[in-house]
Amino acid sequence: MSQPIVQLDGVTKVYRQGSIDVHALRGVDLEIAKGEFTAICGPSGSGKTTTLNLIGALDSPTSGTVRLENEDLGALSRKELSEIRRDRIGFVFQAYNLVPVLTAYENAEMVLWVQGAPPEDRQRKVMELLEDVGLSGLEDRKPSELSGGQQQRVAIARAIASDPAVVLADEPTANVDSETADTLLDLMERLNKNRGVTFVFSTHDPKVMDRARRIVRMVDGSISDDTVKDAVT
Amino acid sequence: MRTTETNSISDRGVEMSAGQASPATAAGGATASTTATSVAPRDVGDTKRRGTRLWVMAWRNLWRNRRRTLLTLSSIVFGVFLAIIATAMQDQNWADMIDLAARLGGGHVSVQHPEYVDHPTITRTVSADERMLSVLEGDPEVKAVMPRVLGQVMLATAGESAGAGVIAYDPALESTETLSALEAIADGEPLEDSPDGGILLGARIVSKLGLDLGDRVIYTLTDTHGEIVSGLARLKGIVETGSAAADSGLALLPIDALREVVDLGPTEVTQLAVFLQDQRRTDPAAERIAGELDQEGSEAAALAWYASRPELAGFIAMKVGGARFMEILIAILVAAGIFNTLFVSVMERMREFGILSAIGWSPGKLFGLVMLESFWMALLGLIGAAVVTAGPYFYLANTGIDVAAIIGSQMDIAGVGMPSVLKVGIFFENLVIIVVFAVLATLLSGIYPAWRAGRVEPVETLKIV
Repeated sequence: MSQPIVQLDGVTKVYRQGSIDVHALRGVDLEIAKGEFTAICGPSGSGKTTTLNLIGALDSPTSGTVRLENEDLGALSRKELSEIRRDRIGFVFQAYNLVPVLTAYENAEMVLWVQGAPPEDRQRKVMELLEDVGLSGLEDRKPSELSGGQQQRVAIARAIASDPAVVLADEPTANVDSETADTLLDLMERLNKNRGVTFVFSTHDPKVMDRARRIVRMVDGSISDDTVKDAVT
Repeated sequence: MRTTETNSISDRGVEMSAGQASPATAAGGATASTTATSVAPRDVGDTKRRGTRLWVMAWRNLWRNRRRTLLTLSSIVFGVFLAIIATAMQDQNWADMIDLAARLGGGHVSVQHPEYVDHPTITRTVSADERMLSVLEGDPEVKAVMPRVLGQVMLATAGESAGAGVIAYDPALESTETLSALEAIADGEPLEDSPDGGILLGARIVSKLGLDLGDRVIYTLTDTHGEIVSGLARLKGIVETGSAAADSGLALLPIDALREVVDLGPTEVTQLAVFLQDQRRTDPAAERIAGELDQEGSEAAALAWYASRPELAGFIAMKVGGARFMEILIAILVAAGIFNTLFVSVMERMREFGILSAIGWSPGKLFGLVMLESFWMALLGLIGAAVVTAGPYFYLANTGIDVAAIIGSQMDIAGVGMPSVLKVGIFFENLVIIVVFAVLATLLSGIYPAWRAGRVEPVETLKIV
């Protein structure tokens, strides 16, 4: 395995619900290398969402360390975490993840805009990405004028626009039909292959698990199985 | 197997990326493909794009719930409209009353003997000589300076008598601009500039004394030596101000005639009535004049109009205070409406803010977005208010409402007759205050919702990854 870009070492996460401590993660060790196409799967409550929240700098562990490109996320301020999310992580959420008042172009451009990239660079990059995800000609559509699959394509374009270290995708196929799910997976697989984008999915979807080259199975907050199906080429 | 599959995917991707397939094909037949297939893709070519801008996003957010935004805007528009019209009415009304009081009495600033205010006798005079007049007329705010002698007289005819306050003025200098009683001459003529220039009397006194124009009346008062002296004058005109106090107790004489009767020198006056360009600058003008008089070694006091009419000043202060209170209440109600709109709007979008935060929006940017929405709301509200207010304002400013026609009589407040036609005329600084207050109220209403948006915890608002 090449140098990992994500490292979780002995990570635990305990939530307090009323008077009960819920152990969401119980000492998770995980490394993800550049270029992986990994699915984290498991039943509800197994800890896959919590794991991705921690990798995505959206949450902090109760104990253990989470490193992104060798940087300890636990040592960073709220502002620095925000910058990490902006610059080094791409997110694709389940659904309704686009800003409804912005066009496809503006949604895809958003991260670059927040980064302060020059307008010309943004335009060149976003147009190229939208073409790459098959949305040429639909740049000016609002999300309400796009199909579910098209919206997810915009979300994927937004997620990879800043060339993040890793793209975290939460059940990206959960709210689309089977055919669209296939197309989205085709797209992400192609981006992984052609652009070297690292994808980590949280999923129940057998289609995703089938496409993933590495499957991390979680049960009760621990990794029960970690299988590499196919080497990254 | 996997390699083959990847190639095949890649090929499909190339097909799609060519942008020649229909949107439906590109979408992969997604759930909402009906919409997608019905709209043909547009050729955007190399069009230069403006891209995302925070203020544009805020503007669009404002119209996500059009009805709610319009309702909130209408409350801003109505609030500002009410504030402007109510303030304009007060500004005009009180200014008219103060100017009227000044013209009815001793001007905006009265220059008089320092003891005259407590002991108003004809022996407490000041000299309206050249030096004094040059000091007063040299002030940039001063519009006119009128010498007067005030006193109390007993009026008598062969069969009746009545008491009255007398204002002895210079008929050659004064007009309706400085002495409002002159515009209320209902019958007869103004006084003439001569020792026998006549007398003007309030209508009720005339009625009580049973006088007709041209009839002679004797006025009796104490002279500068403490002697009871009398003068004789013919009724030149009848004054009917509408104010009961004035109509039943006002007498006007030529200043030289009265000076002669009470043995005052040719420049001696009990009062110099100073009229200003703008009554709102009474205080600084009075202070400045007092200072200049002091520098000149004069003992004369300079009193603002409200010192000689405390009852009118109290009335106006009370009404203005009440009006300000009502305006603040209106502002709070409007602000509460705006707050409600923005707060609900933010709470409805917490997931969206969570997404924005997740993809790297800083708390400051989220805060700024909601504050910009507040700003748009304020700006639109003000534009709407300007449009809605302009027509009624200009009608009321130019034509006004005839209150006397509505209530059937003229009102008399603290001895000063209210103007019968109610007009509006807002002071510029009050307009600025209303505008600033409206903007501030709107922006302040947005602060808490904006803060909430900035403090969003993405992990709590998203069912993320």
